[in-house]
Amino acid sequence: MKKIQLILLLSFFGHVIMSNEVNVYTSRHYDSDDLLYKEFTQETGIKVNIISGKGSALLQRLKSEGSNSPADIFFTVDAGNLWKVQKEGLFQSIQSDLVLSSVPENLRGPNDEWTAIAKRARVIFYNPENVSEEMIKDIDYEDLSNPEWRNKIVVRSSSNMYNQSLVASLISNLGEEQTESWANKLVSNFARKPQGNDRSQIIAVANGEADLAIANSYYIGIMLSGSAGEEQLVAAKKVKMAFPNQKNRGTHINISGAGILKSAPNQKNANRFLEFLISKKVQKTMVDKSYEYPILESIRPSDEIASFGTDFKEDQISVKSFGELNPSAVRLMDRSGWK
Amino acid sequence: MNRFSIWRLLPFAVLIIFTAPLLIVLSTLFGSYSENWFHLYEFVLADYIISSLILVIGVSILVLFLGTVTAWTVTTYNFKGKKVFEWALILPLAIPPYILAYTFTGLFDPFGDANNFIRSVFNLKDSTIIFPNVRNIYGAIVVFAFTLYPYVYLVSRSAFINQSKSMQEAARLLGLNQLEVFYKLALPLIRPAAIGGMMLVIMETLSDFGAVDHFAIQTFTTGIFRTWYGLYDLQTAMQLASLLLLTVGIFYFIERSSRGDGIYTSNNSTFSPNEEVNLTGLKALTAFLVCFIPIFIGFLLPIVELSLWAYEVNLGFFNNKFLENSINTLSLSFLTGLICAALALLINFSIRYKPSILVGRFSALLSIGYAVPGLILAVGMVQLLVYLDNLAFSGFDIVLTGSLLGLVLAYVIKTYALANSSIESGYERISHSLDDSSKLLGSTSWNMLGNIHIPLLKTSILTSVLLVMSDVVKELPATLILRPFNFETLAVSTYIYASEERMIQAAAPAIAIVLIGLIPIVLLSKMIRSSRPIENRE
Repeated sequence: MKKIQLILLLSFFGHVIMSNEVNVYTSRHYDSDDLLYKEFTQETGIKVNIISGKGSALLQRLKSEGSNSPADIFFTVDAGNLWKVQKEGLFQSIQSDLVLSSVPENLRGPNDEWTAIAKRARVIFYNPENVSEEMIKDIDYEDLSNPEWRNKIVVRSSSNMYNQSLVASLISNLGEEQTESWANKLVSNFARKPQGNDRSQIIAVANGEADLAIANSYYIGIMLSGSAGEEQLVAAKKVKMAFPNQKNRGTHINISGAGILKSAPNQKNANRFLEFLISKKVQKTMVDKSYEYPILESIRPSDEIASFGTDFKEDQISVKSFGELNPSAVRLMDRSGWK
Repeated sequence: MNRFSIWRLLPFAVLIIFTAPLLIVLSTLFGSYSENWFHLYEFVLADYIISSLILVIGVSILVLFLGTVTAWTVTTYNFKGKKVFEWALILPLAIPPYILAYTFTGLFDPFGDANNFIRSVFNLKDSTIIFPNVRNIYGAIVVFAFTLYPYVYLVSRSAFINQSKSMQEAARLLGLNQLEVFYKLALPLIRPAAIGGMMLVIMETLSDFGAVDHFAIQTFTTGIFRTWYGLYDLQTAMQLASLLLLTVGIFYFIERSSRGDGIYTSNNSTFSPNEEVNLTGLKALTAFLVCFIPIFIGFLLPIVELSLWAYEVNLGFFNNKFLENSINTLSLSFLTGLICAALALLINFSIRYKPSILVGRFSALLSIGYAVPGLILAVGMVQLLVYLDNLAFSGFDIVLTGSLLGLVLAYVIKTYALANSSIESGYERISHSLDDSSKLLGSTSWNMLGNIHIPLLKTSILTSVLLVMSDVVKELPATLILRPFNFETLAVSTYIYASEERMIQAAAPAIAIVLIGLIPIVLLSKMIRSSRPIENRE
């Protein structure tokens, strides 16, 4: 109790400087991440201080705090947010040779302002009982607007950043006009008004409410692990995952990524933190616990995720275009009536 | 006279602190307007306005109905269970709308627990769906109404209790039946109280994000976040928020000015409480159901579903972190409650002691924070704190930003309305002649406050602390952005799991929120049980 009171008292007077620490603003909130941070502290003696929240809200806090900000690291689950911080000029270039040599160039900022930590694919889930192998083979995102899928597709609301990134990547690949006519037709293929999150879409497909669901890859891993309950496990076992656009540009990829801020008070520690996140050991833990794809080629995804195939083709378009085109994507979805 | 000028200045000083973050938000109205406005205007603004409007109208009608009818039933009739219902009717206050929304979808989605249960009991096919879809505006109306009606119930009940028996007797003599007494006499008389409660409900509905987001309804709040997060346009988002703020402000002032019509303090020496009508048979059953259904939907149902979820995971969540989060949540909410109650007391006293239309109008402004979406308030607050940091502590590290002080201040601004409404209505019941007598007898302002008002307002003060606490425990968006490093509350951990739709893990902290929210509510209901008109007069 004494300790808690002391902490309460101290935190009233703001952030108290302690010598050996690293301050992380993060929009990832996975329990497994907390364990990783503890491991980092054990290994290096550097304390990890966390503030988590929505990416945009954290960015706003960063901007307001300006050069006084205590933040060292900005860590987020969406490339768009990384791009925004980069555009504000708040990141410094990553100097670590280890990071630069292990992370592929298309998964880093244009001037190494940030680096990807893990990847996720936005894929299509289907129930083999209702959708034949023939129908799903070689499917492209573009095909989702075909009349054969009328009233058969479920996807969450267009307020969700993963949908915004997907549409932004389509604009980047196909142009705005073609993407808009695609979105208009896609909306008329919806089996229901967009609702729930990615898991609800997978469950809807498992239960036969719809034929296809657009959702992120790692959700099926969490569901299959059983940690989300019996009902989700049963549903997950009924569905399969298809990687779109394998015959052409590849499946849409988004990243979890992080960068060091220009105003970082603990630059050295921040550097060590990034190096820690892309180390083999941590990458392995991450893919096993959060079911993302690793950024190191030598690491194999978790068994649950690997069972759907590991060597699929990824859309190589730089993740930075998601950020740039995100507002256009939102306006486009508004116009098409994608609620 | 100058000695007392503190009572003139206090409301203004508080007003400056309270409104600074809001003015930062409102000031965007005078800034530049981006081209996103054309887009909003052409494609989505109408949707935002219409669905917000339907929501507010639907919720208002339903809470007014639920709140007044239940209050009338428990104050006028005597039937089995009445003693329990009297206090149990406020239990839904412990359930935040977003948690009821989560449990509603868990129950009533096509393959939710309720549908599965009915199917397995009656051995029905999987394609049979019994319950209607709740992920729409009607579902949201039900969610808001059944979690928020206690605001109307509380004020209506105490207003009904304070209605004199002689009045109703006269009405009965003039030929009105019991039902007519309710809607022709009793209901119009409690209009100011009921509308006051309803305004709280409307403000809470308009500023909610969690529930409407979960149901994917496009309201003003979701529009604000969509503009901020999706269009990357904070300026336009704050302009939208300002419009919402102004709309609520208009409602608020209409309500305030309509209050001036009548003075509802009763210092009538012939006052006597109503005698309760005994009900039996079908009538008693009806009365029972009228009271039971709101409690069932707003409290029992979500508790059952949360317990089912919590049962699915092991009890590993009762660890140190959970304990720490609970202590954080409790101490923050208690501190906020104390500050709010003290402020509300001082300000209402100052208005009473030095009545002035200007001060009265300005102090009404203090309650507007209640209507501000938490995240928007937080954005204004961060900007204010950074400004103060740069002003007062330049050269040092940041001091106020990311401190608990900022968070508590945001809570105070957000929940002051609750404390104020309770203390204000407490003051309305203290006859002005008391003040005059004490002034004549030469007591000072502090004397009058400490020796006369505070003892009389004991119940109102406690109520206001408790109302604020139960609201702070649930607060999410402002906590997310303003909290210090490594500081989590129960609402934060609930949100973290729920946003990933890991409901079974979210269940434990959600139950804890409800339990902590219950502490003030149980105390409140204790007071309800003892609040008989006779005692009020002593």
